[in-house]
Amino acid sequence: MLKRPERLTLLGVVLWALRIGIVAGVVVGAWATLSSGGLSGGTWITLLTAGLSQGAIYALIALGYTLVYGVLLMINFAHGEVFMLGAFSGMFVANALLSADGFLVTYPLLGLLGVFAAAMLTSMLVALVLERVAYRPLRRAPRLVPLITAIGASLFLQYTAFGMFGSRTRRYPPVELLSGRVDIFGFSFQRIEIITIVAALVLMALLFYFVERTRTGRAMRAVSEDKDVAALMGINVDRTIVITFAIGGLLAGAAGVLYSLLFNRVDFGMGILPGIKAFTAAVLGGIGSVTGAVVGGILIGILENVGPSLLLFGLGVPSPNQLRDVVAFSVLVLVLIFRPTGLFGRKENV
Amino acid sequence: MEPLARAAVRRAILVGGVVGAATVYMCMVGLVGAFAARPLIAGVGGEGPGIVTLGLVMLAAVPFLAGMTVASRLRSATTNASGALAVGCAALSGLVGGVLLAAFTLIANAVPLNGVFIPVTPTLVDILTFEQGPVVGPILLTIVATVAGAIGGAIQLLDSRDRRAILSGIGIVLLLALLKPIVDPILAGLELDAVRDFLFSAGGLSQAAAALTLALVVGLSWAWGRPAAPLRDRMRSMPAEHRRRVGLALAAIGIAALLILPQISTGFVSLVLVNVGFYLMLALGLNIVVGYAGLLDLGYVAFYAVGAYTMAILISPSSSLDGPITALVGPEWAFWLAIPIVMLVTALVGILIGAPVLRLRGDYLAIVTLGFGEIARILFGSDALRNWVGGPNGVVGLPNLHLPVLGELTGPGEYFYPVMAFAAFAAFVAWRLSNSRTGRAWNALREDESVAQATGVNTTNYKLLAFALGGTLGGLSGALFAVQLRTVFPGSFLLIVSITVLAIIILGGMGTIRGVIVGALILVGLPDALREFGEYRFLVYGAALVAMMILRPEGLFPSKTRRAELHEDVDVDDRPQLAASGEATA
Repeated sequence: MLKRPERLTLLGVVLWALRIGIVAGVVVGAWATLSSGGLSGGTWITLLTAGLSQGAIYALIALGYTLVYGVLLMINFAHGEVFMLGAFSGMFVANALLSADGFLVTYPLLGLLGVFAAAMLTSMLVALVLERVAYRPLRRAPRLVPLITAIGASLFLQYTAFGMFGSRTRRYPPVELLSGRVDIFGFSFQRIEIITIVAALVLMALLFYFVERTRTGRAMRAVSEDKDVAALMGINVDRTIVITFAIGGLLAGAAGVLYSLLFNRVDFGMGILPGIKAFTAAVLGGIGSVTGAVVGGILIGILENVGPSLLLFGLGVPSPNQLRDVVAFSVLVLVLIFRPTGLFGRKENV
Repeated sequence: MEPLARAAVRRAILVGGVVGAATVYMCMVGLVGAFAARPLIAGVGGEGPGIVTLGLVMLAAVPFLAGMTVASRLRSATTNASGALAVGCAALSGLVGGVLLAAFTLIANAVPLNGVFIPVTPTLVDILTFEQGPVVGPILLTIVATVAGAIGGAIQLLDSRDRRAILSGIGIVLLLALLKPIVDPILAGLELDAVRDFLFSAGGLSQAAAALTLALVVGLSWAWGRPAAPLRDRMRSMPAEHRRRVGLALAAIGIAALLILPQISTGFVSLVLVNVGFYLMLALGLNIVVGYAGLLDLGYVAFYAVGAYTMAILISPSSSLDGPITALVGPEWAFWLAIPIVMLVTALVGILIGAPVLRLRGDYLAIVTLGFGEIARILFGSDALRNWVGGPNGVVGLPNLHLPVLGELTGPGEYFYPVMAFAAFAAFVAWRLSNSRTGRAWNALREDESVAQATGVNTTNYKLLAFALGGTLGGLSGALFAVQLRTVFPGSFLLIVSITVLAIIILGGMGTIRGVIVGALILVGLPDALREFGEYRFLVYGAALVAMMILRPEGLFPSKTRRAELHEDVDVDDRPQLAASGEATA
């Protein structure tokens, strides 16, 4: 049946103009860049792998957002800081292992395992404390209250790290296993990028298994479907929420180590941007959806690495890579304006 | 009685654990170390280092407050425990906290934690042990914490009038000591050297002054709280009209005092107040968007930036457009001619940002606006727009502001009067709006959008109006900021500005102008005046946001009629999925 055409409002016109403008901009920009041929195939491959590895990290963080949103319908704005504190903790353990008779050099795999364990446990602990102290008292509050609390918690954790660890940017000790390049199919990749992608995929596979196959995972899905009914079915909702935060924290901690190895830096403000981008990824994929978070994360990673060069290089915009964060934020804004349910989102969950 | 005592003791130990964790946290994050350098009350004879430092007060305040809560719970009507049990439990929580902090001190003394936790230094150990060594020091520390807890408990035994008198006495003395950097220059400007010498010495507030202030405040507060206090009763028995007039008179005195302030104090005080003024205008503007209309905007800094950049480009001769307004009318009138253009531009930006996000629900709206704010900041600082807005270097060389009568302003502190005038204008606009038909429409919109629409409120227009007006006030603040600083660069427009402004209106109470003013003074004025605060102010903002949301979401000065959407009907939230899908797809 044909739908009656909607009345044309000013708002509708503005939105359509925006849509057309964006499509036109993307087409013109991409065509100009590709036809100019200024960037070689190798450059594109480099950008793509950089995007994939960063996207894998965003996906790990985005899973934390999406799981928490699934059960609590709240944006855990402080999740980026959970990630940051994991990165710090991993760095301290890595440095300690290095100074302890060069343990990290002699047994790099075992050492790295310890680093990951420390980071993941720290992040989990922070996430649990956050849930208990800041979010649990607000379980029944109107929606904006937990969001504002989460913003406050984010600021608090950031400046806690600032106070405790200082404002200096720090680094992980160099590990031979992770540095250098490898050649695959005739292309040379940074080893750390490949390792990041593999590690993230392993963690995601574990999470999928957990959510889809275990009893606790089923409880989580039930709680995200309907808290009250889940409680009636004998599921301990509080416990399930705690577990959800714990898993989000574990993944964020691992992401923290991978991110700081990839970018070779740790500082107290490092959680903000990846946090917002991972949230963008979760929204892009459809918040509440585990698959969506993974796909969204990888898409965001690729878009922000490839996007600026693809769209702006040909238009002669100077240093397009400065605008990579603009790409990520624009995706956030556009997805929320035009398709707030995301790619895989269930309509009722948005 | 037995089970009550056991439960009380268990709870006291638990609270003690929290006390220990909080004090250890304060040490590890560096608060204690930073604030120990700040003496509050001077030693005997006003010589030497202060005996009471801010660091010590902060440490002691934790067990004190904990003791108060423990005892107040035990003394409440339902529990009604004996006084001895209440004080004992309060002391116990202090003791447990003190033992934990002492244990931390011993660990910090034995193991070098400095490599990880930068503030945990031997100096911190010295502070915590009162420089008495690793044996006497921790014992002393435990005793101090226990006593602080016990005093906190004992205060709860007094009747409420005495308690209030003593607490306000202590509070005022500490505030006076804390505000020495503000009060001292004012007294110097008034040439009240005798008072100044009596009150302050290098080590802070003198002991005699502290004792006198304490006695004075306690006495006054006690007399005011007496069942038949003549002054208070006369105030209360006044007709409403009369009382309002007294209130207005008091407000006028306050404003007059504020206006002569720069004349009698140093430039530092004016500078602090100018900064407060900028944030006050921002907060009044955001208050329209968040407090009145209930639209949480986390990218409010974008308006501040747009206002500042518009002003800079219009009037700076070295800008990309060579300062068209200055070229047109000269530097004397450039600012005044540019102001309406800035207001127009920021209002337009408000509508442009507002229009596409109108249909979004609360938390998504917040995130989208945050995205807009960040996009603005990155674009202003990028090479892509360098030819227009100067990239990372920003726009420099704004001409000084010329006032009609006072002439050219040269120093940054001289902007006190124009900033205060604009802030007053913003407050007036906000006040008139809140009582208008528009204000009531916003109220309705905030409380329940569907009902508002059903009763004939054009939600689209009123939302856009809120964005436009809020944006205009933010833009005005930015324009003044630009001329005061005489340069504009992207580093001034960080996300933290938006969050600071949000913290101001949440602390003060959404939707009230009085609350916004107090919030700006506390959150911007106080940290500016106390330089030791440094970056710790953001730690405090974060903690304040969390604490306010959990304990008192309506703010310190809530208005009776206006409850922000923070108090929206719980019913709506009980079926979030239904309500959400309705709004998202509407």
